[in-house]
Amino acid sequence: MDMVLEADRLGKRYGSTWALRDCSLHLPAGRIAALVGPNGAGKSTLLHLAVGLLKPDAGTVRVFGRSPYGDTEGLADIGFVAQDTPLYRDFTAAELVIAGGKLNKRWDAALARQRLAQLGIPPDKPVGKLSGGQRAQVALALALAKQPRLLLLDEPVASLDPLARREFLQSLMGSVAESGTTVLLSSHLLADLERVCDYLIVLNASQVQLTGAVDDLVAEHRQLVGPRHDGGAVGGVAAVVRASHTDRQSTLLVRTDGPVTDPAWTVREVSLEDVVLAYLADGTTQTSHSEWGVAA
Amino acid sequence: MIWLTWRQHRKQAFYTLLGLAALAALLVPIGLSMRHTFSDLGLADCARQLADTNVAAATRDACDAGFRRFGNQYSSLNLVAVLLITLPALVGLFWGAPLVAREVEHGTHRFVWTQGVGRTRWALVKFGLVGAAVVILAAVYGLGMSWWVDPLTQAAYEGRLGMIVFDLQGIAPIGYTLFAVALGVFAGTVWKRMLPAMGITLAGFIGVRAAVEILARPHYQPARTQTFPIEGEGPPEISRGDWILTQGVRNPDGTLIAEDTRIQCPPGGKGPDGRACGAELGLEPGAYNWQLYQPADRFWLFQGIETGIFVALAVLLLYLAVRRVRRIA
Repeated sequence: MDMVLEADRLGKRYGSTWALRDCSLHLPAGRIAALVGPNGAGKSTLLHLAVGLLKPDAGTVRVFGRSPYGDTEGLADIGFVAQDTPLYRDFTAAELVIAGGKLNKRWDAALARQRLAQLGIPPDKPVGKLSGGQRAQVALALALAKQPRLLLLDEPVASLDPLARREFLQSLMGSVAESGTTVLLSSHLLADLERVCDYLIVLNASQVQLTGAVDDLVAEHRQLVGPRHDGGAVGGVAAVVRASHTDRQSTLLVRTDGPVTDPAWTVREVSLEDVVLAYLADGTTQTSHSEWGVAA
Repeated sequence: MIWLTWRQHRKQAFYTLLGLAALAALLVPIGLSMRHTFSDLGLADCARQLADTNVAAATRDACDAGFRRFGNQYSSLNLVAVLLITLPALVGLFWGAPLVAREVEHGTHRFVWTQGVGRTRWALVKFGLVGAAVVILAAVYGLGMSWWVDPLTQAAYEGRLGMIVFDLQGIAPIGYTLFAVALGVFAGTVWKRMLPAMGITLAGFIGVRAAVEILARPHYQPARTQTFPIEGEGPPEISRGDWILTQGVRNPDGTLIAEDTRIQCPPGGKGPDGRACGAELGLEPGAYNWQLYQPADRFWLFQGIETGIFVALAVLLLYLAVRRVRRIA
């Protein structure tokens, strides 16, 4: 399978804190991938590394087999919309389309104008005066006009209201479906992206917790409910992701490597959200007690 | 890229030109009336005659009187000149500091640096175009100021090598302005926010300018020494426009008796109590006036050196700024 984005033990440090550490992942071509993690997990850092804004401090990142930092030619294949969709606010949408044409060798101005016309965005109004949803659409139209093979969107819907969110994602899906563009969108809420993505990368505390195709992830995770569990091995379970216990009963979210046949356990299917939450809950509270100087 | 630069800065360019035009509208009439008075008093001839070493005492007195009248009328304009030397700093604050800092503050660097041109080229084109515009602006300003302050500097004894007037005219403003802009750009790449970048630019500009002016400029060329006796017909023929760095009165053995002063007695003159000239200061017979100075004809050499220093600093800062741009995310 063709890999669009490959990271190998990738790390980025700001001062002495690692924003991203030991990050290894592969993004196959043609996927719509969600990059999910809480705020400060390193999502933006990963995307900035992928688009060459940042230089890795450890490991490597490759996009279409090339190292993106300082690689101007490689930029032509990557469309990027940064967080909060920054645009020159005193430019009109029409001027931004012209600017894009001046800044890119490959540029489909007709496509951008077509999209913006369809969305009813006024061409002669400064984009600073447009609504957040409209501005996000302008930024997306500009990114698509590059005809990128990889589209990176950093929290594209975070600042939009629910209706604008749906419209944005719909129009995104409509345009990448035909072109076969690989898309990587980040969000701190899975719910935003669950409907559109078919691949998932979960990032937490600067490390990759989970990565894979959505169907596979849902298929290989199960919730087990049974008598209180002491941590021993269960047949068919590769790893326990998260366990919660009452006096007599244990609820486990597990990754399976075969059918769980032990009749003591009731096996339930899980939703994608259950899986993600289980991985995110793992490992978030390790440090804060010692940092606050109180007992855990 | 050129289109983008123009589109981003056209409003700013318009206001800058408007400001320059307003300044010209204010200063040109003053300059014209100043030149009118200057020629009415016959001072242009005076300046030429006084440049000659053996000029008649009567002419000298007449000319000095004329210069004094001119000075009484217009010397307050020297204060205006002091205000005008701040203009390069303003260009640095409003053109240099926001160039990168504004992009980063608004996040638009992530938009423009991820298009197809690459940020090194972005930086080179932007710095180049803004730099070129600034050089033209500063050249117009420097030449205009040369024209404007010319009568004032001719009337002033120390001439155009003097502090402030030197900084105002010729090609030095090009160096200052370019340096201010480069400092602003560099500060913007380090602090990445407009207000701190502007503050640092202002402080840095004043600091470097003052240091060069006070510490370096008097030593661009070895200063010349001139000595003349304390007894004589009048002051010796120091050409107008020499920049006197330091002066004093020395005893025959070379010890400096009185600093920052000059003594002039008529030949064989005695003090009221019959003592020899300057004896109350401890001067021995044969004491002489002494001064270190930079001759007026070194003006363009000094302008060249001063401009060179600031252009070199500007180039260094822009180089560092381009390097830093590659590190901003």
